Amino acid sequence: MARLTLSILKIYIVFTKNSSWGTRMSLSEEFIKAIVDLDEAKAVELARKRLETEDPVNVLDDLRKAAEVIGEKYEKGEFFIADLVMAGEILKTVSDMAREKLRALGKAREVIGKFLIGTVEGDIHDIGKNIVITMAEAAGFEVIDLGVDIPPQKFVEAIKQHNPDIVGMSGLLTLAIESMKRTVDSIKEAGLRDKVKIIIGGGRVDQYACEYIGADAWTNDASQGVKIMLSWVKEKKG
Amino acid sequence: MVPVKEPIDEWIERHEKEPDVVAKEKADRFLKAVELKAPDRVPVAGVGGDFLCTYTGITWHDLSYNLDKIPPAVSKFLHDFPSDWGIVFAPMMLEGFIFALAFADFPDFANLIRFLTGPVHDILKDKWSQWPGREIPETYHPQFRGGEFMNPDEYKKLIENPVEFVHNTILPRACPGLGKPGSSQWNGAWIRVGITLQRILEFLISMGGITAKAGVPSFPMTNAYTPADVIGDFLRHPTGAMLDMRRYPDDFKAACEALIDPILKISTSVPPIPPATFFFIPLHLNEMLSPKMYNEFYWPYLKKVITSLVDKGYKGFIFFEGDHSPHVDTILELPKGWGIAWFERPKNFLKVWEKLKGHTTVMGGVSPALIAGGTPEKIEEYIKDLLNQIKPEGGFILSLGVNELPKDTPPANVRAYINAVLKYGIY
Repeated sequence: MARLTLSILKIYIVFTKNSSWGTRMSLSEEFIKAIVDLDEAKAVELARKRLETEDPVNVLDDLRKAAEVIGEKYEKGEFFIADLVMAGEILKTVSDMAREKLRALGKAREVIGKFLIGTVEGDIHDIGKNIVITMAEAAGFEVIDLGVDIPPQKFVEAIKQHNPDIVGMSGLLTLAIESMKRTVDSIKEAGLRDKVKIIIGGGRVDQYACEYIGADAWTNDASQGVKIMLSWVKEKKG
Repeated sequence: MVPVKEPIDEWIERHEKEPDVVAKEKADRFLKAVELKAPDRVPVAGVGGDFLCTYTGITWHDLSYNLDKIPPAVSKFLHDFPSDWGIVFAPMMLEGFIFALAFADFPDFANLIRFLTGPVHDILKDKWSQWPGREIPETYHPQFRGGEFMNPDEYKKLIENPVEFVHNTILPRACPGLGKPGSSQWNGAWIRVGITLQRILEFLISMGGITAKAGVPSFPMTNAYTPADVIGDFLRHPTGAMLDMRRYPDDFKAACEALIDPILKISTSVPPIPPATFFFIPLHLNEMLSPKMYNEFYWPYLKKVITSLVDKGYKGFIFFEGDHSPHVDTILELPKGWGIAWFERPKNFLKVWEKLKGHTTVMGGVSPALIAGGTPEKIEEYIKDLLNQIKPEGGFILSLGVNELPKDTPPANVRAYINAVLKYGIY
């Protein structure tokens, strides 16, 4: 009897060890898991496999789901910046593959909103900005990345040119707070303040800075920021 | 109405009347805290940043390039906002440890070339930094840009001979002012750097004399670095370093191991002189790593640097950038009394203190945002409450998380910060 139990246990272990057998994961679930596990090689391989047969939109939808889980893990303190950087790389690689396929098929993914972002004048930090960009793209935003050290006037010109729903300003240095304020002031002077929502982000922004700058929201957490942005576009669409 | 004399006013007067006595008191206070004991009062660390510029009318450009303008501004600032500890770094403004690595075999100047200065940047035209009045406005703090100057497939060369690789391969890529190694431009540029460093050294010695006369003690200092931060700050950019840890873990670890010896060579070029010679290390990637990655790629090599130097008789002085809370327990692996841990913004400062008290000298506790945006009353209340929870245990130095205050900080708030420690810091 004991022997039988043991062998059943062994079979059980074999099944649970290979998760795709044990839980009978679909390809989609396996793909999301590979991204969340930050297994770059596996995620890219599965994406390639799926894009051979599936609608690229499905793959992009799964990227959004994976990004949500990653964001939650960061909020819970299970993931750190280094994990988000790796996740960002995977999301970007796969997203580029899927978009290329979409273009080849003559299709486009539905865009939920337009998001313009840049690191403000005098600051060149871009790790946080780049994480926000991959998270926002995964969520379905069209993102216009202005880059780093962006003067207020460039933000204004880009708003006129691209007509975004949301403007994001990123910065880590103390002086970035001043630059953000100058940028918001320039947007106001150009008469564009009512046309856009403004969110600021970075290691040193807080509610105090947000009020001083005149932004609509602030965040230190990319996925939290994307959640705020999603609520804005939802509100806008009514 | 006669203005009320606050403890800070009395302290300023004592600085004027008996600077030698005040300096000795400060040195004793600081050393007691380093020995984990309770001094007469909690030592308070000084402030600086853009606030120093607005208060004294000096610009970052002056602090970087116009050496003759530095002493009057710094003297005024130190007079009006006295503290127990503060470093006047100007004109040594930015990280330049990579240059010390390139010359790790030259103990006579490896430590001097360790910080980047504006005048040396003008010669090297390095891409790691941007300077006020050069690439950025005169009123901006010099900026460290970093960058990617090494490909992942070059780890092997870095591991084989870090000093040679940095000198022969990285410097020519990152410093267009140098030209090709061995060329006339290369040799001429280094001669110019030597002449410039001599001028800066003379300035620092004379500045030390001026501050000593104003009641500011000084301790000999040397420098070290975390191997993983050498890779992130100067070779692969932090993003590249974080990706490499996952993509090329063995190469990354072997490179960290190979960097330890040259780092220690630089540190030990200044001998450990009693009562204390500190080695300063600012940490950069720490906050961004999960405990798993920190314990695999960062801490083992940093720990080796720290313990090697502590064994040789140095004391550590480490700036833990960002929120170091997830990794605080590892500090307990170091020998008791190893040195000072300065925390920028741990989620819960008191928790960190509770963990480390009696083992590590803890520095920090006050958010620059409170001093910049609070009121004198709020600042006093906060510091009173914090000190009540920390005392009577010794081994504590009250400081801002990072000693840089924004330009619009009200001077009354800075006075309130110092005053509160003088009032409530007595053991």
